[in-house]
Amino acid sequence: MSQVDIGRREFIQSSGVLAAGLSLRYGALSDAVAETPLVYGQWEDLMRQKWTWDSVVHGSRGVNCTGHCAFNIYVKNGIVWREEQQGEYGHSGEDTPDYGPRGCQKGLRQAKYMYGSQRILYPLKRAGKRGEGRWERISWDQATREIAGKFVDYAVEHGPESISFAMGTAMILKRAALAALFRFANLTGVSVPETFAGVGDLPIGAHMTLGMALPCDTMAAVFKSRCCLIWMCNPAATRIPDAHFFWEARYNGAEIITISPDFSPTAMRSSKWVNPKPGTDAALAMAMVHTILADRSIEWDYVREQTDLPFLVRTDNRKFLRGTDLYPSGHENADSNVFYLWDEATGSAVRAPATGEKPDENETLQLGRIKPALEGRWAVDTPDGQVEVTTVFELVKKLAEDYAPEKVSETTGLHPDVIREVARIFSSAKPAMIYAGYRSAKWLHGDKIQRAWLLMCALTGNTGREGGGMQTTQLPKADGVMKYAFAGTGPRLRVAALSLWDYAHANHKEVTAQVYGEEFAEYIDRHHRESVARGWIPDYAKTPWKMAIFAGLNPANWRASGKSWRETAFEDLETIVATTPDWSTTAMYADYVLPVAHHYERQDIALEGRTPYMQVIDRAVPPVGESADDWEIMARLARAIAKVAVERGIPPVDDHIYGRPIKRDFSTLEEQFTLDGQIGDTRDLVQFIIDNSFGLPKISFDELSAKGIVRVDDAEGTQFGKQSAYNYQLLASVVDKQPYKTLTARQQFYIDHDWFLKEGEQLPMHRDPISIKGYPLRMLMGHARHGVHSLYRDDSLLLSLQRGEPDIYVNRDDAQERGVADGELIRVFNSYGSFIANAHLTSGMQPGSLFMYHGWDPMMFRNRQNFGAVIPTGGLIKPTSLVGDYGHLNFKTPDNVPNQTFSDFTCDFERYSETGHESAGNTGLGRS
Amino acid sequence: MGKQVAMVMDLNKCIGCQACTAACKSLWTDDEGQEYMLWNNVETRPGPGYPRDWEQDGGGFADGQLQYGELPERSAHGGEIPLNHEQAFSSGTEIRLQQKEPMGYGANQDEDTSSGTYPNNYHFYLPRLCNHCTKPACLEACPVRAIYKREQDGIVLVDQDKCQGIRMCNRACPYDKVYFNYVIKKSQKCIFCFPRVEQGVAPACARQCPGRLRFVGMLEDEDGPIHKLVYQWKVALPLHPEYGTDPNVFYVPPILPSSFDEQGRFSEDPRVPMDYLRYLFGPEVDAALITMHEEIERKKAGKASELMDLLIAREWKSLFNIPDVRVA
Repeated sequence: MSQVDIGRREFIQSSGVLAAGLSLRYGALSDAVAETPLVYGQWEDLMRQKWTWDSVVHGSRGVNCTGHCAFNIYVKNGIVWREEQQGEYGHSGEDTPDYGPRGCQKGLRQAKYMYGSQRILYPLKRAGKRGEGRWERISWDQATREIAGKFVDYAVEHGPESISFAMGTAMILKRAALAALFRFANLTGVSVPETFAGVGDLPIGAHMTLGMALPCDTMAAVFKSRCCLIWMCNPAATRIPDAHFFWEARYNGAEIITISPDFSPTAMRSSKWVNPKPGTDAALAMAMVHTILADRSIEWDYVREQTDLPFLVRTDNRKFLRGTDLYPSGHENADSNVFYLWDEATGSAVRAPATGEKPDENETLQLGRIKPALEGRWAVDTPDGQVEVTTVFELVKKLAEDYAPEKVSETTGLHPDVIREVARIFSSAKPAMIYAGYRSAKWLHGDKIQRAWLLMCALTGNTGREGGGMQTTQLPKADGVMKYAFAGTGPRLRVAALSLWDYAHANHKEVTAQVYGEEFAEYIDRHHRESVARGWIPDYAKTPWKMAIFAGLNPANWRASGKSWRETAFEDLETIVATTPDWSTTAMYADYVLPVAHHYERQDIALEGRTPYMQVIDRAVPPVGESADDWEIMARLARAIAKVAVERGIPPVDDHIYGRPIKRDFSTLEEQFTLDGQIGDTRDLVQFIIDNSFGLPKISFDELSAKGIVRVDDAEGTQFGKQSAYNYQLLASVVDKQPYKTLTARQQFYIDHDWFLKEGEQLPMHRDPISIKGYPLRMLMGHARHGVHSLYRDDSLLLSLQRGEPDIYVNRDDAQERGVADGELIRVFNSYGSFIANAHLTSGMQPGSLFMYHGWDPMMFRNRQNFGAVIPTGGLIKPTSLVGDYGHLNFKTPDNVPNQTFSDFTCDFERYSETGHESAGNTGLGRS
Repeated sequence: MGKQVAMVMDLNKCIGCQACTAACKSLWTDDEGQEYMLWNNVETRPGPGYPRDWEQDGGGFADGQLQYGELPERSAHGGEIPLNHEQAFSSGTEIRLQQKEPMGYGANQDEDTSSGTYPNNYHFYLPRLCNHCTKPACLEACPVRAIYKREQDGIVLVDQDKCQGIRMCNRACPYDKVYFNYVIKKSQKCIFCFPRVEQGVAPACARQCPGRLRFVGMLEDEDGPIHKLVYQWKVALPLHPEYGTDPNVFYVPPILPSSFDEQGRFSEDPRVPMDYLRYLFGPEVDAALITMHEEIERKKAGKASELMDLLIAREWKSLFNIPDVRVA
């Protein structure tokens, strides 16, 4: 008998019971009904009437959740009534779940949020002191005229680089908005602080290893994994539309293992949870490397071909064996970029294919007849005599001896068996994946965590394999955006490294000295000075900081060392302009606030990083108040600047970019901006971008709007193809054997730069996170579940589904020790500052640690101080991130710049009692 | 006998994102008098839930007898409160940005509040809506017979023309899933999105769930996923079956990650105490979890599993065994 039959029979039986029960129970009622029949359901039409609408358009939000989910936007009585997922997506690859329906609670609040009281409807000019909240409503004409006047003043007197034009994630994931902002920046020469490393998101260790920072496939690749280590990442809260792939993979037999100190929402859904002490992840990864090496569960051929592990290193000076070692200066083979392998076939050192200053372009990583040894020591003859060489692999083995699971057990707080078991699940699963978000990059030594992860992936042959390897994010190509931004002028964009900019313009060195000690501050500063002197990094101290336009950016919310950054760099600005749809701390302290149109009031496109679709953003309703979209705002500003330049007779301004002199003509800025009228509105620009982008289907905006989403080219599998709009660089190396864009043309684990050797960081390794003496607790943070960074944290419904105010997760024992009960206020403090939040007690926090979702705006806190008041890490810049003159390790925005980091500090907390009437007290922002 | 629409929620896929809550809210309960209502909510369990301590309020049937429980306090619901943006940003005062009045105990106050002792702590998310019970206590309790169960789909509705706001339904529902609209003075509750279901479109909470965890269909449909999960595989269970109302919303119980032994090694002991799961889902939960574990192990071993494939739901639309028409 089949189970279906049992089920059916039981169902019939139980239905019978229910039916009997019903007839008994309602017998009396039935009689009554028979006497006085009640007619139900006439009211139902009221509800049917509720679920009706006047029109629907296809749209999305295009903000920096990067989700860009496909939505129907319903309009009723002239306003947006609600939104609902389109729902229907396709699959990537064979046998995978489809992507639908995507979406999340934030997306589902936008119809309400766009009409919320946080919305800015008119251009505003500050009427009181900064931050006082007194405003004068002004016309667009007055606003752009006054801003343009100041803009031209600074540009002429101090150079356009004195104007910071910071583009925020509220805007720049919309392609046309980004193009508009970039074109304005490219034409005017303003400084654009990059906000990838700037927010501590850049996996620079991946760049060190792979020559690219962001290895990633589609989200569907997760389903192909047999073991997924979700490490320093919380996709259950931060990748809501796509998190289902993890649990579906679990049902498909994969081990889903979350590695996180706290029992995160992702840990809850996993098959295993591993809970290292905060900041010890590199030690854990190296212990797994130890296990993989000890078990010799290694993909040998992969390692020989794809990595520098067989490369020869001199044991005397710890440098790679190079052409310059083997041949006298002037010899044609004396190439410092030629590296060597020990060929077991011939018993000699041979040149590693595709290495050299200018290798043959057709040369690949293929080894041909070479049989590179991975283990051994050999003597090599050089013009200066014999030197001993060994392999990077041998050095890794030697280093790994320090990371036996028993040895790192105390560091990580994990039982050695747990480390071994997870390492073995990882190494035996084919394929195996490390799903890493951005949190590793927020530690000062995060690069070494990423390098250790990639070492795990390389030894097991997982990097580049479907369903395997380290996953971060994909940044779809922006060639159509750049074609507009650079049209007629070529690239003359001035991008600045935010961490270094802040180092020059805020008092970061002083804060570091005060909090971490003079010696440490001087150690960092010495390297910074030396790097500047060597020309490895730019000297931003020379660039004055006069005016800032914050376009959809809320830096006063999130800057590291935020408290003192606001008191110095931010407050020092002579003119602050915020263009934003909604109020924020940054807008509150601005001199001018310009209202930006909401997502449903504009036209644009967005490309999701890990879901292969182009998403339309179409206008459901006209912008409310006097808000306008980004292109329109920049066009108005360009027009106003041109007018001022003409009125004042400003000749083209001399400027230098990339070492060459150029002229910037402000008097024709409007014509330049619109391509002489070719682009009349955002819709024209969207079409221009679609038509000029590689890998996007050529489609009219109308057709795209009718469809909502269209699949991008060459993205049928779980990994993006060569002809797609996504980065193929990694597969070009793993599949097509093209050299990596690293010094060694391989996945490079050994970095023999002098500074790396001096710091002892030539290989991936662990260093303890930095503490503040006297403060025992680690405060961890992560991307928010109920917001997109600082966006939507003030939505009335979402806030009601939290604690109604910023809360922070606290271990119960830590709270009890300090006499704190659940829901009470606590003051979190260290020697840098303090902030107050609602204590959310839970058993899910590791003792000795706190967790707070980021993004809560300072305006929501007492004294307007958020977590930025205890994060004094703005000045922590590690020497190895400042190096240059080394193959792929050269300063280059935005791919290879130091992260602003946020995690290396400690704090404490105490119960906080509010005395008397609730008041924000002083703002804590003015210096006197 | 009429047909019965039903829902199965797979608690192993719920990530507590509240998309269902937001979807429901903007569609049905966005009017004045409804601010505190969440026809659909997601609560962290163990925990007091929404409304606070609803399981202590009583109701349902005991030995076949209808029970009248306590009316849940309005303050036990939290509620959506507007923020003071104008005051905070443009009044020239230094008041911080906050809810205009304190929310009190919020509907999701205990989000991720974990129970037990670290690192063997435990919690999970429990989405809840009206169970559209086969034996609805609310219906039986209504003295003016304003509540009815539709023949064509078994959806339980409060006829707004007939409701006189007496709130006996509110006391009788053991799940505290009936709410009182204090403006129009009538009881209101989840309508299982009947206007959508009538058009073949799944309820908003299900169709808009990015976690893909809500199956919707007719309970009697033997080819549908609901029937298979509830009756064939027996892995989908009603919440608090002892309340006696025969719910038509079912849950696949949660399997949390491995626990640790005293030395810190992985342990086979379940992270969530079985007694707690039995408290929520009744004695059948043991067998359901054994089945789930067995089928997961089959997949790990590379074998086929109809149950796992059913729960994976490679086609999103396969969750909805009602015709899903495009609405735009």
